[in-house]
Amino acid sequence: MIGAVRALKPQQIAAAAFRLREIGIVMALGVAVVFFWIRAPNFMTVGNWQDIAKDVAIVVVVAVGETMVVLTRNIDLSVGSIVGLSAYICADVYADHNGAPMVLIALLAVGVGCGLGVVNGLLVVVARIPAIIATLATLSIYRGLSFEITHGEQISAFQLPDSFLNLASTKQLGLPTLAWFAVVVAIVGSAFLRWTRWGRDFYAIGSNPEAARFAGIPAGRRVILAFTLSGALAGLGGFLWAARFPNVDAVAATDFELDVITAVVIGGVNVFGGSGTILGVVLGAVLVATIQDGFTLLRLSEFWKMFFNGAAIVVAVTIDALVTRRLQDALRRRRAEVLAARHAEAQAAARAEGSP
Amino acid sequence: MKRLLLHLLFRWELLLVVAIVGVSIWSAHLSPFFFTRVNLLDLATPYVFIGLLAFGLTFVVIAGEIDISVVSTLAVSVVTFAQLFDHGVNVWVAAVGGLAVATGLGLVNGALVGILNLPSLAVTLGTLAAYQGLAFVILSGEGVATFPQNYLNIGGGYIRNELPIALVVLLGAALVLGILLHATRFGRYVYAIGSNREAARLSGVPASRVRVTVFMLSGFMAGVAGMTYVGFFGSARADAGQGSLLDVVTAVVLGGVDIFGGSGSMLGVLLALILVAVLRNGMQLANLGGDTQNIVIGCLLLAAIIAGNLIRAAQAGAIKPALLRLRRRGVIRTDDAPAAAVAAEFESQTPKGR
Repeated sequence: MIGAVRALKPQQIAAAAFRLREIGIVMALGVAVVFFWIRAPNFMTVGNWQDIAKDVAIVVVVAVGETMVVLTRNIDLSVGSIVGLSAYICADVYADHNGAPMVLIALLAVGVGCGLGVVNGLLVVVARIPAIIATLATLSIYRGLSFEITHGEQISAFQLPDSFLNLASTKQLGLPTLAWFAVVVAIVGSAFLRWTRWGRDFYAIGSNPEAARFAGIPAGRRVILAFTLSGALAGLGGFLWAARFPNVDAVAATDFELDVITAVVIGGVNVFGGSGTILGVVLGAVLVATIQDGFTLLRLSEFWKMFFNGAAIVVAVTIDALVTRRLQDALRRRRAEVLAARHAEAQAAARAEGSP
Repeated sequence: MKRLLLHLLFRWELLLVVAIVGVSIWSAHLSPFFFTRVNLLDLATPYVFIGLLAFGLTFVVIAGEIDISVVSTLAVSVVTFAQLFDHGVNVWVAAVGGLAVATGLGLVNGALVGILNLPSLAVTLGTLAAYQGLAFVILSGEGVATFPQNYLNIGGGYIRNELPIALVVLLGAALVLGILLHATRFGRYVYAIGSNREAARLSGVPASRVRVTVFMLSGFMAGVAGMTYVGFFGSARADAGQGSLLDVVTAVVLGGVDIFGGSGSMLGVLLALILVAVLRNGMQLANLGGDTQNIVIGCLLLAAIIAGNLIRAAQAGAIKPALLRLRRRGVIRTDDAPAAAVAAEFESQTPKGR
């Protein structure tokens, strides 16, 4: 391993490490699939995988937004509450206006999320409140708003139009319609982070906020943008949530932020910002959903899932830190070797010049 | 001089006292029974466990870390205690068992953060979920509610039918932990690490040992909180304390503890806890539901940080010239290190001999 590392350029080592992370998730996924395949007879069925796809879909949509926030070295704990609030508002409006075009309802959901996300962003950037505290507060505040709006009432599936519920029950090309939303969001999000200036700015801010500011990146505005996108996607997640779980009340999507953050952290997004890919996050979401689905099939209690979620975060962070440290050591050693070699060459050249 | 006086007057603790008095007057306006001795003494009892959690968390935050797993740790200690008791262990021995488990969970957090150097936010976010799951696994379904009266007294009993024992526990813990934080070497280490970990380590502070200890202390206090929680509510369930993280963090931050570490006082946290208790009590008198109360407390948390930021900015602007003038006249010696640094910086920028 060390020998192989020696032969590489520093950049190649870094690139290889990122691949390694995604390969690691795929391998863990493989182990999980084989395990559940053997233990649970109905695991390897088309129906079950479509259920997993529906679970993954909502997590992915929200996790793409969360990724943007985490990349800038912040965190958004309020996404669960935003999903819940937006899901209720969607269902409530749809129940009153059964004929409304679905696009309009989706836009409403995104708009609600956008507004709540902007509030988070302003609190973090303008009021200079650390993201963890600001979004812990808005987690409670947004959930409180849900209770204010619902007055303890529930929207039921029969109040909603079939076309909306079909999002969860119909399939296009073998995938549930819900999952196509996630596919589109993941592709657009991935392209956004890879190729647009705003996306690259997120990485720059997360790697080194000071340096990013000196390089002329309007860091404050970008962080507000990240929170806004996270809110907007959580709003869209609420729209999908209402379609998947149409009996919506004030406690919808409580603790959902834990699923999302688990997917993001397992997916290899560094909690200190600056690195991570949407592909990794999607794989992380699939891994989490697969294992949780397997637990359900094996009739393990709900709470083992919670335990697993938490333990997975801790394990992922530990592995990340250890790998990063190894990597930095390797990079440092490699750079020192390169420098020493150059130095030796220069000395040899000087000697060769001096001798004749 | 007037400005310096203003600076002294604007002590954070004083603002808290003013706020407590203000909310109390509002509460008295709502109910004639507010200003009775019984109500004033009993008012804090339901919030004692929140205070104990906040005291433990204070050490962690001053050391520059965060522990959001405290409520889940409380839940695990409560269910461990209940299971031990249910299996015939003496109630006090079972309580010690609960404390030991809570301290152990704190040690796990501490080892991950202090020894492996992992980010505390991510670690305790993970253990928040993991411990909560663990609590449900240890005691699923029905709770335990058959504890003997002499144990329940620590949560709901009175000394001479007057003074709630829980209040004594709260104030005692505040006193002991206040001394530990403000008057011992360990306490100074905690501040030093919170101000600048690298500098503290280089000047010989055993940084990783202190950081592990801080998390263990937070776990231990979560255990103590759990034991008084059972005493007050009379039953042990796996969802004990759920939803109180907001109040705990609010008490710490509202108490003037710098969320980035390095400053804060135990007195401030105690006062902030009293403010939260009085405010929730008042909102109950005003017939506001729990979720509306959460909105208010959430806003209070945000407002506390914004106010702190504003005050700090105002002081940085106002105090510089005032200090400088006094120093030039030789009225004061700026032994206070940060003020001296500020003054020196200002002096170097202004031409002398005016």
